[in-house]
Amino acid sequence: MFEFIVRRILWLIPVIFVVSVITFVLMHAVPGGPFDAEKALPQAIIDNLNAKYHLDDPLWKQYVDYMYGFIRFDLGPSISYRSRTVNDILAQQWPVTAMLGLASFAIALFGGIPLGLISAIKQNSLADYASMGISMLGLSIPNMALGPLLIWIFALRLKWFPVATWGSPIHVVLPAITLGTAYMASFARLTRASMLQVIREDYIQTARAKGVKHTTVMLKHALRNALIPVSTIAGPSFAGIMTGSMIVERIFAIPGIGKYYVTSVGNRDYPVIMATTLVFALAVVFMNMLVDISYGILDPRIRYN
Amino acid sequence: MKKIWLLGLIFTLIVGVMAFGQVKTLYWNLGTEPPSLDPNISTDTTSIQVEQALFLGLTDFDDETMAVVPELATHWEASEDGLTWTFYMRDDAIWTDGTPVTAHQVEYSVKRTLDPATGSSYAYVLWIIDGAKEFNNEEGGTADGVGVKAVDDYTVQFTLNQPAGYFPSIAGMWVCRPLPVSVVEKYGDAWTEAENIVTNGPYELGEWVHEDHMILYKSATYYDVANVKIDQIYCYMIEEASTAMTMYEAGNLDSTSPPLEDMDRVKAVPVLSKELYIAPDLCTYYYGFNNEKPPFDNPLVRKAFASAIDRQSLIDYVLKGGQKPAQTFTCPGIFGHVDGVAEGIGYPYNPEAAKQFLADAGYPNGEGFPEVTLMHNTSEGHSKIAQFVAQSFMDTLNVKVNIVNQEWKVYLATCREDAPQIYRMGWCADYPDANNWVNEVFNSKSGSNYANYNNPAYDALVEQAAKETDPAVRLDLYKQAETLLCDTDCAIAPIYFYTIVNLTKPYVVRTYAPLGGEHWEQWDILPH
Repeated sequence: MFEFIVRRILWLIPVIFVVSVITFVLMHAVPGGPFDAEKALPQAIIDNLNAKYHLDDPLWKQYVDYMYGFIRFDLGPSISYRSRTVNDILAQQWPVTAMLGLASFAIALFGGIPLGLISAIKQNSLADYASMGISMLGLSIPNMALGPLLIWIFALRLKWFPVATWGSPIHVVLPAITLGTAYMASFARLTRASMLQVIREDYIQTARAKGVKHTTVMLKHALRNALIPVSTIAGPSFAGIMTGSMIVERIFAIPGIGKYYVTSVGNRDYPVIMATTLVFALAVVFMNMLVDISYGILDPRIRYN
Repeated sequence: MKKIWLLGLIFTLIVGVMAFGQVKTLYWNLGTEPPSLDPNISTDTTSIQVEQALFLGLTDFDDETMAVVPELATHWEASEDGLTWTFYMRDDAIWTDGTPVTAHQVEYSVKRTLDPATGSSYAYVLWIIDGAKEFNNEEGGTADGVGVKAVDDYTVQFTLNQPAGYFPSIAGMWVCRPLPVSVVEKYGDAWTEAENIVTNGPYELGEWVHEDHMILYKSATYYDVANVKIDQIYCYMIEEASTAMTMYEAGNLDSTSPPLEDMDRVKAVPVLSKELYIAPDLCTYYYGFNNEKPPFDNPLVRKAFASAIDRQSLIDYVLKGGQKPAQTFTCPGIFGHVDGVAEGIGYPYNPEAAKQFLADAGYPNGEGFPEVTLMHNTSEGHSKIAQFVAQSFMDTLNVKVNIVNQEWKVYLATCREDAPQIYRMGWCADYPDANNWVNEVFNSKSGSNYANYNNPAYDALVEQAAKETDPAVRLDLYKQAETLLCDTDCAIAPIYFYTIVNLTKPYVVRTYAPLGGEHWEQWDILPH
């Protein structure tokens, strides 16, 4: 196990290298630069700005300098937000997104798995149709429609929650539901499908024949194995929602990192593009590692040698 | 020292609370995180709005008349040749740390803006100061060679390299505002953070939670604090217009700009329609023609297209914000604006004239006319306008128009390198003088002249107008320039002049600033 984890961590090096090179090349290949504006600046002014941010260095040097900074956790200045460094932006904005992501993921996990479980156990019953109906709705309604709808019902009409902004636990509820619903729906559908397959396996029949209680069979023997496919998608999903949802953060005016994934590209804010992309890559790799570890816990047949 | 002022501030607040029973708070939406609160660096309206409340300029603008009025400078004078400008500053302005605001800090600020190491985007507006361009462009100039000098603690003198009647507007711009030298030097880029910043305006920065909110408190050290009525300004940073609209309706915001899709509802609902305010803004929306790209190298073709745009219908059915049809470039409210509609300059919507122009150009009823590319940057609003205008072209002129859109910076690069036959662009005032428009945009040497408009007579007119000091002569020169640009040569088709579309709660007593940021210090909040 230890050796496995070390090996996976070492794999990070080539992954980060490849992701950083691709991102760096792509962002410089796109036309337009950080100082292009509706009011075109004189070339002399652009030269001053390029010199200030070392954008007049050869590209290979810019890359090497950036990566040298990256390994020392110095992510450079933001070109669009001149008084802040990328470290500042990540330190101030990412925890907000992480908090929203955790809440959404909890809703997805603790809502989705029970829904799927009920559906599978009571297959073709009213409960099954109801929970699959909810899942279908959750998957089909996009965030940009669900968010305003929840605001209209629960903030404007019922006045239970604030319309938008951030700052207290009550501010987390509506955006977390908006962001978590689609994930909840896919977890529910996957849990159901996986459970239906597992409960037809021989070892479940064996357990039943031995007289094990129905709930024990379902929760201990069936669900545990049924969760393997769920954990496979849970990892990347978690990485996704932990690194930001531009749309939900925008609708609810949440000071998260999601916006920077989009605006940094529009602004050609090179250091922010690099940092947000690499953080996302790191999150995906890390979550996939956790998923692999969780396989071993869920299914004793899986070993790491 | 800081503590004393903090105590003073708390005392003022307490007195305020006792006197009025409540702290008057304005809930405002900045619309986004201000990219920088450093006046030497800022280029965007959000940052400039906050800086307007935090930092005083030598001059300011009157919201009603757009005239340049005194702020830090009580009066100023120009030498007879128009090259030397002397500003006499008030001696009772002080910083929030208790030190006086002096002419030396103005000199420092101007030189810091021009220092190439600062990387200020707006430094070029100061190039009319003697030695400024040489220092800024590293062409052998030095900071000492720049024509700005504190004659004494409260007198600052500028030497220009050419006469510029509009210089008092420039002197009040954010790039010239005095800075707290020791704080800037001590904290570097982080001097604008709430815990470091020292300011001299009517408000001071109490709290800045990035991307979330900002709180401004009435500054106890502001020289005219007795007349500031609103105690604090709570600034949200809500980017989504529909969210801001919902917060406005829920009573969380005192003012907002309604999104386009809500305009019909706002006009129909009695409560909202009473709170709606539409006023001219200082921006022009236009379609440029690439004057070098066939068949738009023919002025008759450009005139045909300019005459085929039904501006009023576009405003009534697509924009819905009470905008004004434009036939000239410089917008109303700017010195040098020419009313093209009244004076018959430029081309109004006239389908028959449009067809005739096209026929005269050799394309009767559009026959033989090549396909046209109309390009805009990706945005729902621009897309709606482009569809409407393209349909006008196709219906009136019987030509085929392809609408293409590109992401903003890609679009700018396209326009700069090889603009399409028709491109969308807008221009907003930096200072209220036509020099900022006809000279800075369509002079053949300008970087924003994506139309590749090149008429030596036009260049001569706008360059002469810049140097001329007699206002009557300048007005006449700008009229001639607009006539060449929008009529004789028809290099562009101005479409409309922007409006400010705003909803404000009835208990807010306010002004509207078309330029340089709102004057919150002049506002009030009535009991409600």
